[in-house]
Amino acid sequence: MAITGSSMVSCLGDLDATFDALVAGRSGASPLRLGDPAKLNVTHGYSIDADTERSYRAGAVKSAVGVASTHSAAGAAGTAGTVSTVSTADACDADGAYGIGEDVRLAGRWVATAIAKALAESGVDPDTSRVSVIVGTGLRELRAVEQWHGDAAALRLAQLHFNEAVRSVAPGVTEVHTLANACAASGYALALAADLLDLGEADAVVVAGCDTMTESMLTMIGRVGTTTAETVRPFDADRDGVLLGEGAVAVVLELPTDKPAFGLIRGVGIGCDAYHETAPDPDGIVATMHDAHQRAGIAPGDIDLIVAHGTATALNDPTEATALHQVFGGLPADQAPAVTAIKGAIGHTSGGAALMSVLVACQTMRTGTVPPVTGLRTAIAEAEKLAMVCGAPLAIRPRLAQINAFGFGGVNAVTIVEAVDA
Amino acid sequence: MPEIRKADQRLAVGGWAVHVPGLAATDLPGSPAEPACLPVDAKDVLGRKGLLGKEPSTRLALCAVHRVLGLPPGKLAEPLPYAPGTAVVVASNLGNVETVCTVLDDMRERGGTAVSPMDAPNASSNVIASSLAIRYGFNGPNLAVCSGATAGLDAVRLARLLILGGRAERAVVVGVEPADPIARGLAALRPGSPGELIAGAGVVLLGLPGAWPWDTGIECGPVVRHGASRPAVTPPLADALVGEFYGAAGVVRLAAAAATIAAAPTTEAAADAANSARYTVSCGDADDGWLTVDVSAAADRAASGETAGAAARTAVSAGAAS
Repeated sequence: MAITGSSMVSCLGDLDATFDALVAGRSGASPLRLGDPAKLNVTHGYSIDADTERSYRAGAVKSAVGVASTHSAAGAAGTAGTVSTVSTADACDADGAYGIGEDVRLAGRWVATAIAKALAESGVDPDTSRVSVIVGTGLRELRAVEQWHGDAAALRLAQLHFNEAVRSVAPGVTEVHTLANACAASGYALALAADLLDLGEADAVVVAGCDTMTESMLTMIGRVGTTTAETVRPFDADRDGVLLGEGAVAVVLELPTDKPAFGLIRGVGIGCDAYHETAPDPDGIVATMHDAHQRAGIAPGDIDLIVAHGTATALNDPTEATALHQVFGGLPADQAPAVTAIKGAIGHTSGGAALMSVLVACQTMRTGTVPPVTGLRTAIAEAEKLAMVCGAPLAIRPRLAQINAFGFGGVNAVTIVEAVDA
Repeated sequence: MPEIRKADQRLAVGGWAVHVPGLAATDLPGSPAEPACLPVDAKDVLGRKGLLGKEPSTRLALCAVHRVLGLPPGKLAEPLPYAPGTAVVVASNLGNVETVCTVLDDMRERGGTAVSPMDAPNASSNVIASSLAIRYGFNGPNLAVCSGATAGLDAVRLARLLILGGRAERAVVVGVEPADPIARGLAALRPGSPGELIAGAGVVLLGLPGAWPWDTGIECGPVVRHGASRPAVTPPLADALVGEFYGAAGVVRLAAAAATIAAAPTTEAAADAANSARYTVSCGDADDGWLTVDVSAAADRAASGETAGAAARTAVSAGAAS
């Protein structure tokens, strides 16, 4: 499947800004903007500030009027010409996007912008072709529910999911699914999108992911965590746990044609550990990796790059490193895939995490630069035998990349992406 | 055998159950013979172990699935032979809203240390689907569908996709909503007058023919998407009198329709009528649009003269679809 359009926003900005920060090893963490840190027992997060949001959403106006997208010079930007029937005006309307005030924090605003930009870049017109949309999310619009319950903000129930947000920029799409598959959600959405295209049930599928922070999830992180981290340090011996990140991401997937593509999705494996509500299980993760490899028709030795899930929690990192060693550990050292991870720079963006990692993998393939694991200083013992990219970027040009995403409930999604010759 | 387009292929319904607290089969087809228990009494169906910290929605979903699988109370004595690779698709929008708001209130009033870590899994909206996977060993794809009023039949649609796309041979499809004060308050924010939200769960077992151990002779077709205007459905089901199930409605109605067809009388004339019976089930609202799916006796069953009802009752006596 070809990625013919894409867009994302994290606390660091769009894909180009995010990638630059990753290469520089810069963390986008900042003091928490939401809730009372003393009560939450969490002091930092990777939230999107007003300037970043404004400039990202303003960018959509450009593509809406047919000017080549400013996003991602390394991608397929601008190649769609001036074809753009996506109405982004509503999503960029600073006041009352789909009838709710700016005081209510909605991931839907960001994901609407991301979808508008991705569609404009791809040139896909939902009014003339069958376009399905699958939005993966961890926390849906539960922040809006919190503000409705705790702060007397206005809400309509339909705003808890993303049908209205998507249709505010793409009213002609055939269906909008909201998939709340925790931190693997957009990886799961990619898998279902590939199946829809395979079965001929859609001409194009928009896969998206988005999340805001919620006070309730911050409470849980502060409750079960043992320390107050100021940044996320994946696979680090002195890691302090995970911090939440905000953001949205969207890609347009189509069957491969001669249309320019940012990357190719070779296959997505999905599964469930059926083991524990919050703890990961190496057997389930390994099984999902094998499923992904089989679907992509590849062997572990074919993979050049791994973008790990890498949350910096006590359990994920050793479990993931052990699973990776189990699958890739038999390879000669010169064939071992480079391993990186993005959550040190942009936090755990939950529903969008898998898809953001996919875009970072594509950007890595384009630029020939693998960003280091932001925040990693001394790797945990389990990761010592992996080719972790630490401290400085690595100059290689990967052809095949594996992207890991694991969520609460043991939901696993592993994506295999292939480079497109620029 | 002529090739059937995958988009049109009908799936076998291997079982069904409805679990709406207080309702029996005479109130809503697919329910147990005696009124279904409250979430707090889920131990009556499930046994005592494994319920600590489980929200009402998770308990209702577990009760419905436990019954459709024909299992006695208690943990599994041995692994279910059909569990490996089985997909779980759960439709629910309001399952964890009470937990989210309670955690918020407690943290704001007394600080985060006042919150129980037992609630951590419940803060994640896929907790129902993963709880089903863990309890029964269903390690196939596991989806939490939260797309509003259409969620129930969106779940059926995505289960079909998993099956026809070769990711699973069979899927446990659940629709469930709670009716706590937070959920009811949110449900009141819907357009029109949808009726009072009531707690309940429905489950259907979908699969390729032979994927489930129980041949009920009932099948369902593809999910059809309509616009914002409510499609006419025939014949109407009685659940409108029962209450409003929101995101659970599609699966509850599908289960009730399957139960209605299966319960048809066995006299030859009535059986003919039952075999040609085709229920169209809908869910949706003005905000989210409408979906429908049809459920009927399998075509080959109608041709052979064997009634779907007889087959289903055989399955019932074997312990399934109870």
